[in-house]
Amino acid sequence: MRILKSIMMTLALFAAMTAGAQTITSVHGTLSDDMGPLMGATVCEVDGTGRIINSAITDLNGNFTMKVKNQKDHIRFSYVGLKTVTQPINKTTYNLKLVSATQIKEVVVKSKKRAQGNGLPIPEREISYASQKLDMKELEGLGMTTIDEALQGRIAGLDIISNSGDLGSGSTMRLRGAGSLSQLTDANPLIVVDGNIREVNLDNFDMAGANNEKFAELLNINPEDIASINVLKDAAACAVYGSQGGNGVIELTTKRGSRGKPHVTYTLKLTATHQPKGYDLLSGDDYTMMLKEEYFNPRQDDNASDQNRIPEINYLDETGGFSEWRQYRDNTDWRDAVTQTGLRQNHYVTIAGGGEKATFRIGGGFDHETGTMIEQKLNRFSTRVALDYNVSQRIRVQTNFSLTYTKNDRNSDDLLAIALKKMPNMSIYEKDPITGADTDVYYNMLQSGPYIGSEVFSGDQRTYVNPVASAHLAKNEERNYDMNPELVMNYRLLGLDEDHWQLDYRGSVYMNIANHYNDKFYPQELKTINWEDKVNTSSTGSSKSVSFNTKHTLTLTPAFTNKDHSAMVMGRFELTSGSSSSQSTSGYGLPSTDGAIVSPSAGGLIDSPSSSYSQWRSMYYTVSAHYAYKGRYVADFTMRIDGTTRFGPGNRWGYFPSVSLKWIVSDEAWMQKLKPTLSFLAIRPSWGRNGRQPGQNYLYTSKYGSTSRYIDMSAMKPLNIRLSDMKWENVTSYNLGIDLGFFDGRLNIAVEGYSTTNTDMLMSSFRIPSNAGFKTVPYHNNGKMRNTGWEFHINTNRVIQKGKFSMDVNANFGNNRNEILEMDEYILNNKNSTYGYANGETLRRVQLHNPFGAIYGFKYHGVYQYNYNTFKNAVAGMTKDEIYAYWAKFTAEGKTAPVATSADGQLILDANDVPLRMRYDYRIDGTGHDGVFPGFNGGDAIYEDINHDGQINALDITYLGSSLPKLTGGFGFSFNYGDWRLSTQFTYRVGNKIINKARLQAEAMTGNDNQSQAVNYRWRKEGDVTVIPRAMFGSTSNYNTLISDRFVEDGTYLRMSYAQLSYAIRKKYLTWIGLNRISFYASINNPFVLTKYSGVDPDIAFGGEDPAIDWAQTPRSRSYTLGITVDL
Amino acid sequence: MITKINKILGGSLMCCAVGTALMSLSSCSDFLEIKPQSEIILEDFWNEKADVDNIVAGCYSALLEDGVRRRMMIWGEARSDNFMSGENINSDGDLYKVIQENITAMNSYTTWDGFYDVINRCNTVLKYAPGVAAIDPAYTTGDLKATIAEVTALRSLCYFYLIRTFRDVPYSDEAFTDDDQTMDLPATPFYTVLGYLIADLERVKDDAVVRYPETKPRYQTGRITRDAIYAMLCEMYLWNKDYDNCIKYAELVIQSKKAYEEEERNKGGRGLANSNQSIIEARLNGYPLANDNISGTRFGSAYEAIFVDGASKETIFELSYEDNPSNANMTNNSAISSLYGNSTSRLGLLAATEVITEDVKTASSRKVYEDDNKFLDARLYYNCRQEDGAILKYATSSVTVDGSRAGTGTWNSSAADYSWFPQNSNGSKWIIYRLADIMLLEAEALCQKMGEGGDADVIASNTPLLDKAFTLVNAINKRSLCKALLTGTDTLKRADYSTKSLMETLVKKERRNELMFEGKYWYDLVRYCMRANSTQEIIDAAQNRSKDVNSSFVQSFFKRMDAIFWPYNNEEMKVNTNLVPNPAFGSGESTSYEKTK
Repeated sequence: MRILKSIMMTLALFAAMTAGAQTITSVHGTLSDDMGPLMGATVCEVDGTGRIINSAITDLNGNFTMKVKNQKDHIRFSYVGLKTVTQPINKTTYNLKLVSATQIKEVVVKSKKRAQGNGLPIPEREISYASQKLDMKELEGLGMTTIDEALQGRIAGLDIISNSGDLGSGSTMRLRGAGSLSQLTDANPLIVVDGNIREVNLDNFDMAGANNEKFAELLNINPEDIASINVLKDAAACAVYGSQGGNGVIELTTKRGSRGKPHVTYTLKLTATHQPKGYDLLSGDDYTMMLKEEYFNPRQDDNASDQNRIPEINYLDETGGFSEWRQYRDNTDWRDAVTQTGLRQNHYVTIAGGGEKATFRIGGGFDHETGTMIEQKLNRFSTRVALDYNVSQRIRVQTNFSLTYTKNDRNSDDLLAIALKKMPNMSIYEKDPITGADTDVYYNMLQSGPYIGSEVFSGDQRTYVNPVASAHLAKNEERNYDMNPELVMNYRLLGLDEDHWQLDYRGSVYMNIANHYNDKFYPQELKTINWEDKVNTSSTGSSKSVSFNTKHTLTLTPAFTNKDHSAMVMGRFELTSGSSSSQSTSGYGLPSTDGAIVSPSAGGLIDSPSSSYSQWRSMYYTVSAHYAYKGRYVADFTMRIDGTTRFGPGNRWGYFPSVSLKWIVSDEAWMQKLKPTLSFLAIRPSWGRNGRQPGQNYLYTSKYGSTSRYIDMSAMKPLNIRLSDMKWENVTSYNLGIDLGFFDGRLNIAVEGYSTTNTDMLMSSFRIPSNAGFKTVPYHNNGKMRNTGWEFHINTNRVIQKGKFSMDVNANFGNNRNEILEMDEYILNNKNSTYGYANGETLRRVQLHNPFGAIYGFKYHGVYQYNYNTFKNAVAGMTKDEIYAYWAKFTAEGKTAPVATSADGQLILDANDVPLRMRYDYRIDGTGHDGVFPGFNGGDAIYEDINHDGQINALDITYLGSSLPKLTGGFGFSFNYGDWRLSTQFTYRVGNKIINKARLQAEAMTGNDNQSQAVNYRWRKEGDVTVIPRAMFGSTSNYNTLISDRFVEDGTYLRMSYAQLSYAIRKKYLTWIGLNRISFYASINNPFVLTKYSGVDPDIAFGGEDPAIDWAQTPRSRSYTLGITVDL
Repeated sequence: MITKINKILGGSLMCCAVGTALMSLSSCSDFLEIKPQSEIILEDFWNEKADVDNIVAGCYSALLEDGVRRRMMIWGEARSDNFMSGENINSDGDLYKVIQENITAMNSYTTWDGFYDVINRCNTVLKYAPGVAAIDPAYTTGDLKATIAEVTALRSLCYFYLIRTFRDVPYSDEAFTDDDQTMDLPATPFYTVLGYLIADLERVKDDAVVRYPETKPRYQTGRITRDAIYAMLCEMYLWNKDYDNCIKYAELVIQSKKAYEEEERNKGGRGLANSNQSIIEARLNGYPLANDNISGTRFGSAYEAIFVDGASKETIFELSYEDNPSNANMTNNSAISSLYGNSTSRLGLLAATEVITEDVKTASSRKVYEDDNKFLDARLYYNCRQEDGAILKYATSSVTVDGSRAGTGTWNSSAADYSWFPQNSNGSKWIIYRLADIMLLEAEALCQKMGEGGDADVIASNTPLLDKAFTLVNAINKRSLCKALLTGTDTLKRADYSTKSLMETLVKKERRNELMFEGKYWYDLVRYCMRANSTQEIIDAAQNRSKDVNSSFVQSFFKRMDAIFWPYNNEEMKVNTNLVPNPAFGSGESTSYEKTK
């Protein structure tokens, strides 16, 4: 290499010498600085536009030689850290000494921090819309593993709720309340990465819901790559996203390379996670005892649960005539058997750097994670490359590429749910028939054959797979590849600085390629059924989605001679096109015994191959203008026009305008006196309109598709009613924001008030009269809904500083109120459920001018102590007055019996002076529930007979609270002392109610599922005083678990999201090993939740039409992380 | 290196950007026009004969859907005293409520969307098929007329099910394609709809296919033929109390079936050796019913021919199911499997009532089976298992009755062998019309033509009617006797049925026995009640369901005629406020204060 260089140099010198001095075709010379010759300095020939024509690099001795194309060009010498020198080409020899750039004195660099993202690059202080920015520098050194973790509790009005603690399952995000009533239009905010929207359409693929997909979007970005997060809240802010921004926007900006020598960072995080436990379960002994009572009570018959009827709970031995007796003598803790401590390791390496022409940043990471449920495993490899190349001063080309590969080994069954229900007296492993010890074969309850056991378990226990066996034997593997290449070109067509008119062009091409594969195998060991009934099932599926997006933006920045005016105008054209396809095959009866053959094509019977294809396109035009007068009167206007294939020709285009204003009051002359304290005050009103489009294509066409055959004829059918005049849903929002800054920006406060109105709402699965041949149409524009609310957030910038110590606080809170303003009466009727009088049934009421999420139910007053007959017999033969006296004494002693009373608490007697029994849903036409249910009895729940009609029915249902919190928010503190830093973050929710259905099911005692230990306090015999009713088998034998205030709990909580301690070793201690920085941190996530809520986690999603219900999903896990970051 | 790549990429980017910008600007709205790839849109459909044929096949396959089939069975029979709750009835709470006569507007069996789906498919064909005839020369006017007849018949059949169930229903012969069409139609009264149906069928009956190609043997009974339309007209006229027309169409069906039988025999394709022909004709009084064995002691081939194999000579119209489970593109007869039973759980959700199972043990004045034949009636063995009421018809793939054991004069439960269909592959054919049904309808119409009283001229005019009715009933009865050679003591005697009421009772009893578990009996009861303008027959029947219903409750409940029909579904009434709820039924919603008292 060096030889080659010197030869070239000699040749060049020779050439230079032979050439005459008249035209300079080549230059040479030596560069040096204070320390001597400069090796690797750049010499280039630069034309009038700043484009580099030729370049050379100095050698070991600082010598260079370079050909020159045009004598009119300039020659430029540069070296990192030294001041760049530009000279005209008028000589052939340049011997220069470059001076250090850091030696420059007294240069005032005036640069304005400008808004990033898709809108105009407005100076940050002139931003007139509602947004909140989170600089990742604040979180640097924190052990965040996902973005939503970082966001939780930090953004006012953004509510993040994790869907479950399973690996790779997502979170639900709601910005400023429920934006949409419909489940099909996504209500999560739009996520934008570096101006790009990830468009993946995997509708037809069997994925665990769209939330996972959304979450994956966030999962695919490593927090280490994020430079800042900006949350756009009002319509004016989201206007540049038009119909896509109806739910708010989260803009992520990734880090890019910067000039300087290559900088290597390595981060390692080690995390241990575990799951909070929740309620304690019955042991095998308690369970069998409960079951015996449960079967005895409805029939009052000792034989109801004897060994002939239910051998499984009678602890039989070999003489009992039940061949499986050995399997039902255990005390298995199924939950313990399926949970574990999860471990996670995240490795991430980045290299960043660059020179004058180009900068780069390359990151690559590998994550390995095991779940808190056994046999859950996730591996992820991700990489992100960002390259910037300056072709000239005017032209800059950028290219970005990111790839994420995820392999997720999931459980095939919902292990935790099964573990909570599975009978605890059953053993995990099959017992050795001679010794009785565990073998290594998993035991599954027999589902067929002559030794099947009791039929009472056929609907429940028999269908529950052994969760431990399922975890180990079944396979459910998901693989995802996500690739996003992007090319960007920036061209500055006119001036280069603020003194000239600037016209900048930015063009980009972005692609999103997502491939998803899913392989499943469910072995016969998990199903004790006949071979014909489909065992050894397997399926494999894949889906591909490719989308293409191109954006072309022209931004004009005029240079006014009067510096009081500043303006900016942008026009953009954007085009998106994408397609997705999927196919899947499943088979059964595979010739597999030990799970060795798992592919559906391996000789089994192919079941139902399927495939799908879909396509979408859209076009967007945006015009955006910004004007500021004296830098303190600001006006913005944006208009976006959206066209998409989702609508028919008539309504294809949607128009979304917005206007926002800002008055920076503190810049007024008359405010200057307040400057020392009130350093900033601005008022921002805004108005804007966004939209929402349906999540499906081809709705405006009549489609025909194939259906099952008849005899030998292939058959087709009309698939839909076409939506001839479906329109865009409009979201109009007003926002008023006030920004306050105190003490020179050390304390900043923003207050926002908003009102968002949705009109022409896209109601999904809209019910139509079925005499039309269809029951529903996919969408219908109807109704008007309003979200109003306010937000408040504070952050500080070294608010307290004393020596090495400094402290910061951030806090935010918000409140949102939702109201339906208009809706067709029959949609409302349809949304409102009819009370079906079943245990555990929730009543949904959606009413005009009322928020969602109201909880209705009965009032619960404990358990009847005495049977009806006991009371009736006790008063038999007494006179009326005696009975009343007896009743007065009875109640005075605090005793209870299921008799009807009048409004004043007096007994109701029939014509023969017999007290009337409290009944359930008695109807004169016999269609009520009292036909099979004779009335309440001792041990049954006491519900308040609110209207005193001597029976409990729907008229006794009353309002029990609202699922909507009065306040949500978060706050955090961070403390710095020298190189030590402690940050904490808390989230809270106040004043919401939750229906604890998990507890309801765990205390119902109506089936064969395992129950919580609370049921040990159940009513067992007359006179017992308790709040837990008796065990009664059958869903209609009792009405002890109706939704009542017994199961409605206050969901107020305060959670510590994380606490993190970090320490950075200074550079001066590290020079001996050649490192720049080592920082260590230890963090604990979700260490505690302060709440009165009795469930595992009060973090229950709310905001739909239904009240908030705890279904016992996997709770948010607790985790402990140790991390280290090394900078080379 | 990197810079070089960047240069190349930058260049291509420019080309790309300019290209796309040009393309998009030139054809802005075309760009947003895309068509689905896995479905066909209306504008591209209805171009050729195959399109019409495909949708017509879709009309049939919609009838085969589990939801529709279940309703045919449950609407048609579940409230009658043929059925009581079977095993695991709790797993289908709504069905249990039906059995208990605790039906409310919330009950899921009150939904009718499956039937209207078929109706709408038929209407769609009627709307677009003429357009196809205009552009596809391969689709002739004759084909078009046959298509119109076929789908009109299917539509009429669905409406007929609906009015027999709900009495008045929304009626439309328009296809629904757009969401701006008026859908919340008020209900059209029973007799008005029935009038439309009769008029429609009268209009198209001559266009219908008489014989499908021999290469498609299952089409003849699996698709609409002229005979099927005649059969529907026969029953509709009976409901409309037009007995002459009922008899006329019944005779047309019988004649047609006889001619077909003759034709087949001449071809030697079907039928028996000529030596046996006379024996069979004598036994079946000349009617071309599916005959059982006439020699030996093993009986049950008629059952298999009609219900299992399908396309029997007796069948007029059936829903032709496929029993091969690997043939997943066609619907499996799953409704039977769950409601009647299968090889895994032999007792289905429904079971035969004690009225039916106890009948065997009673020596005389039986309620269901005839006294005369004692234990010879093969239907005793294949209707249901007498020990536990497990339903065998349709649920079993074969029933073999040992005539030597059955005919001993005492009840012998082991005289029959059954083999059930497996759980996931019931391939029995669901019979909509068969000859025995039509013959009994004719017999019923004949009875209605008879005069009352004992006057000589009444007797004189009744006698030919009685003779004819008896011949019809007797043929059906004799067909099921599991004895090769019948003697006089085995068969019914004409002399025992000398009055109108005796004959009427015989016809009803024979009809119940012959068509038991075929989804007909409740409709029969409704027809009897409407004709008599009294619900007594249903009140009496309800008394036999003491296992499931409260007898004093049903006594009062069924007093009103409204109660013998079904309520409209709650959800339907919410979106169609023009529907007037059936006053006999609760809405299932929280009742008013007055009502709960």
